[in-house]
Amino acid sequence: MRSLKRVSPHIILLIYVVVVLFPFVFVLFSSLKASNIEIAERPFAFPTSLYFQNYIDAWVKAKINVYFFNSIYLATTSAFTGVLLSAATAYALTRMRFNKASKAIYQFVLIGMLIPGNVLFIAQYILVMNMGILNTHWALFLPYTAGALPISVLLIAAFMKSIPNELEEAAIVDGLGAFRLFYKIILPLTLPALVTVFIVNFLGSWNEYLLANFFISKDELKTLPTGMVGFRDAFQTNYALISTGIVYSVTPVLILYAFLQEKIIEGVTAGGVKG
Amino acid sequence: MPGSLPHRLSRNEGRQMKHTLRNPWVYLLMIVPTLVLYCLFFIYPMVTSSFYAFTDWNGLSNYKFIGFNNFIDVFNDSDFINAIGNNMLFIVFAVCVQVPLIIFFAILIANVRKLQRLYKTTVFIPSILSTSVIGILWGFVLHPNIGPVNKLLSVFGIDPVYWLADSAWALPAVLVVNAWQWMGFYIVLVLAAILALPKEMNEAAEIDGASGFQRAWYLTVPLIKPIISVVVMLSISGAMRVVDIVLVMTQGGPVGATEVMASYLVNEAMGVNPNYGLGTSISLIIFAFALLLTALYQSTFGKVKE
Repeated sequence: MRSLKRVSPHIILLIYVVVVLFPFVFVLFSSLKASNIEIAERPFAFPTSLYFQNYIDAWVKAKINVYFFNSIYLATTSAFTGVLLSAATAYALTRMRFNKASKAIYQFVLIGMLIPGNVLFIAQYILVMNMGILNTHWALFLPYTAGALPISVLLIAAFMKSIPNELEEAAIVDGLGAFRLFYKIILPLTLPALVTVFIVNFLGSWNEYLLANFFISKDELKTLPTGMVGFRDAFQTNYALISTGIVYSVTPVLILYAFLQEKIIEGVTAGGVKG
Repeated sequence: MPGSLPHRLSRNEGRQMKHTLRNPWVYLLMIVPTLVLYCLFFIYPMVTSSFYAFTDWNGLSNYKFIGFNNFIDVFNDSDFINAIGNNMLFIVFAVCVQVPLIIFFAILIANVRKLQRLYKTTVFIPSILSTSVIGILWGFVLHPNIGPVNKLLSVFGIDPVYWLADSAWALPAVLVVNAWQWMGFYIVLVLAAILALPKEMNEAAEIDGASGFQRAWYLTVPLIKPIISVVVMLSISGAMRVVDIVLVMTQGGPVGATEVMASYLVNEAMGVNPNYGLGTSISLIIFAFALLLTALYQSTFGKVKE
């Protein structure tokens, strides 16, 4: 009785874990199968012979490589720019002595967190069109970077406020200017918060679908989320190949997660509970 | 007590400090890029949205003000009313099915010692992945002929179900996939709140002979009410905005069975005949709905006592 009581929560939780992981395992197995027939006949079975041809086909023929590098490049540059801009702003707001202006600017930037993203979607589309950058990577880079600013400024400013004054006093007495103080002293100390914010922004851009779908129609500029949907629609019948695409798209995030799970959980929950 | 400082600034050094940190050029350099980008992509679109919503602009140069006509048109369209209904079903499903399950699983995870970390990290995985990839993934899992769900059902002699093509099943299927993606995120949130509670009370109750269920219901749940409130509010605003999963899995079909407000917006405003005026008015409606519902929730059930 007592041992049953101890084991039953684990049984329920393991069922949940299986429900979460099953689709991934299924897709991984399917990606190594030669055809739909093998998937259909034995959907739960390990592939009979490992068929890696799908990985080559998907990467080159289905242009997953193009989408993949577009995603990497956009997510990295926009996350990096977002972190740099918000760190600079957070530094000016929390550390420099313009208290009145800083307070007003801080409040003004936080208004952005009340506005849910897709409310602005059409107006942003028109804006991007008027700027003449529709169908270029700028059309995603700018909204992605801007979209992350309010929460990033909030998180980094909260962290910078907790840095003691003595350090920068000593640095200034040693003759550092405001600019060098920022990147030599404050920025390294803020690194943990910067990493968190970078991860949240990176994942946000890596996964974004709505803007990517409407702001980019050129195939060679598409990112993974939209490229994958186009890929599915083009290869409707070849599920082994579609599975391979899914594996390519999910694996980098899972690898990142394996190394930085605590950071990612911390960052994503902080980013999600902003409202 | 200035004497307690390790290094006391001389007057000269104090002035130097003030001078350095009051350099207006550095201040502007650090603030302006952020503000420009923020105003351009947040404030300006918000302002133009509230302006275009009252026009019939379709992307070409000429437009005219038509007052509240967009709003009237939208509310007279039975497809949009149907979409609002589906948004409400997302909310009902989230609040009545997901939230109890979230609390249940969070309490279970909080009470096991072995494997706790594994459970936490695993259930969180779907919430860091792209919704569009999850839509594709589940479209395959639910495929009528080769999908494993139907294969499993066929073992029990059940005929293939056309999950995403049958208007009776499409919405439930999308609801479940959406729940599958987001539940882990909320479980981790609630779990963190439970683990932050002092352990003594729970132990005392256990010594007094309270069962696991009694401890959960009378002790843990009342103590984590604030975080449950947060979860409900996030679920409501999430349900009002849901769109990616619908666009990728069903595009609102079959015959509007899974249409939600935001997918209606996309299909109406960004289709072959773009209508940006109508589109922006719908986004304002979504925004207003989300504000209204969260305000309503906060003033009724969400009130945390004390």
